[in-house]
Amino acid sequence: MLVEQASTGSGASGQNAGSLHFQIERRFLERKGGLGLEGEQTATLSRIAIDDWSTLEDRLGVSLHVHMNGGLMVAENADQVAILKAKADRERAMGLSVETIDGAEARRRAPYLSEGIVAANFMAAEGHADTRKIAPAFATAATAAGAEIQIRTRLTKLEWQGASFRAEIIGSEGAFTVGAKKVLVAAGVWSARIAAMANLHLPLFPVGLTMSASERTPHFLPHLVQHVAQRLSMKQTEAGNILIGGGWPSRLHRVDGIFDLSRPAELIIQSLRNNLSVATKTVPRVADLNLIRTWTGVTAVTPDQLPIAGEFPTMPGLFCAAGGSAFTLGPTFARLVADQMLERERDEADRLLAVASPARFDSLNGFMGR
Amino acid sequence: MRSQADITRGMPVTIEVDGQMIDSFSGETLLAALVAAGHMRLRNDQEGQPRGFWCNMGTCSECFVSRLDVTPVRRIRACLITVEDGMRIATRSISYD
Repeated sequence: MLVEQASTGSGASGQNAGSLHFQIERRFLERKGGLGLEGEQTATLSRIAIDDWSTLEDRLGVSLHVHMNGGLMVAENADQVAILKAKADRERAMGLSVETIDGAEARRRAPYLSEGIVAANFMAAEGHADTRKIAPAFATAATAAGAEIQIRTRLTKLEWQGASFRAEIIGSEGAFTVGAKKVLVAAGVWSARIAAMANLHLPLFPVGLTMSASERTPHFLPHLVQHVAQRLSMKQTEAGNILIGGGWPSRLHRVDGIFDLSRPAELIIQSLRNNLSVATKTVPRVADLNLIRTWTGVTAVTPDQLPIAGEFPTMPGLFCAAGGSAFTLGPTFARLVADQMLERERDEADRLLAVASPARFDSLNGFMGR
Repeated sequence: MRSQADITRGMPVTIEVDGQMIDSFSGETLLAALVAAGHMRLRNDQEGQPRGFWCNMGTCSECFVSRLDVTPVRRIRACLITVEDGMRIATRSISYD
């Protein structure tokens, strides 16, 4: 049974801008001296995620507007080019196919790029998918496979009772109780609060982000475009809109010193200005398009920025799947955590998810749990 | 379609929409002029079905039309601007680009 307080995909899964990014992420390069070591650790997961996304539409039997036409992470000066090259070396060492190309070659492949782009890392597998379709498609497939999906239904209590979990739930037809041997917490930014119901600390911190869409325009941007030193993601949807994001903050509402997750984050107008400025500097022709929509979404990050997926050592039977990059890595988390829960090639799933295991934060739960 | 009672109108204005001349009055929004002339279909969706304006306040973006009498051609929300004499407008009701 899936218990969902709103509807499938109403959280970060449906609010993000739909990038399928498999290069080491720019946010991992921000810290001084950090050449994306955290990102490097997720390279194994990225390799699997490429296969998962390549086959997802066939497996779910529905169009998800998955386009994997390649992704470019661009640079504008020599320092940035040096980072691109070092990054590509590390990615290749991790088995990811990434090449550094010069500005002329980048513009040959992507004629829409600005003359100011002096190099780019190109990865053929990168792309994008329609965030509005993914979670509902998974829900439809799960229902067909026998799952029971309860939307507009809220978990209010979760307790381990010696042999199984007992969950108290409120749905549209009143309250009910469910017993379960195993429980997966995959509630995005709300995951920490659900873990708290089970008396566990789950170190996930909410962050508000900013996304924008232009009016539709004839297709000219087949790639995912990112910038190695600036917050930027750009892609063109099936309908023709240009989606612009890349990690510009929005402001979470607070009540009594607690982040209020029930309200959308507030737009920071300077974030929007900066985001559009980087976008038009990188792909000048978007400056001619009308902006039709800007929205905020809330995701969650862990203290080390790596995702968190797997079983809590303090409370066997309780699993989680959350943290950053969960659109790109989501189908992979889903498959591997399902393998863990069903004890299906468990050792292999444990090995692949080791980098994301909740075990690394287990010291927080020394006084917690059952 | 226009209200007649107790209305003081601006000067008559003529604009061109998809090649046809439309009479309007100064002070009316472009969208009001389009609707008054029966231009409810402003574009076709990807299945060829008609789409028209919805919110009339600049949010839904369904009333985008092209303004041809400026260089470069601008895409504008018809509900947010007022008519000007000699304006030349193209909707996307004819072909989806």
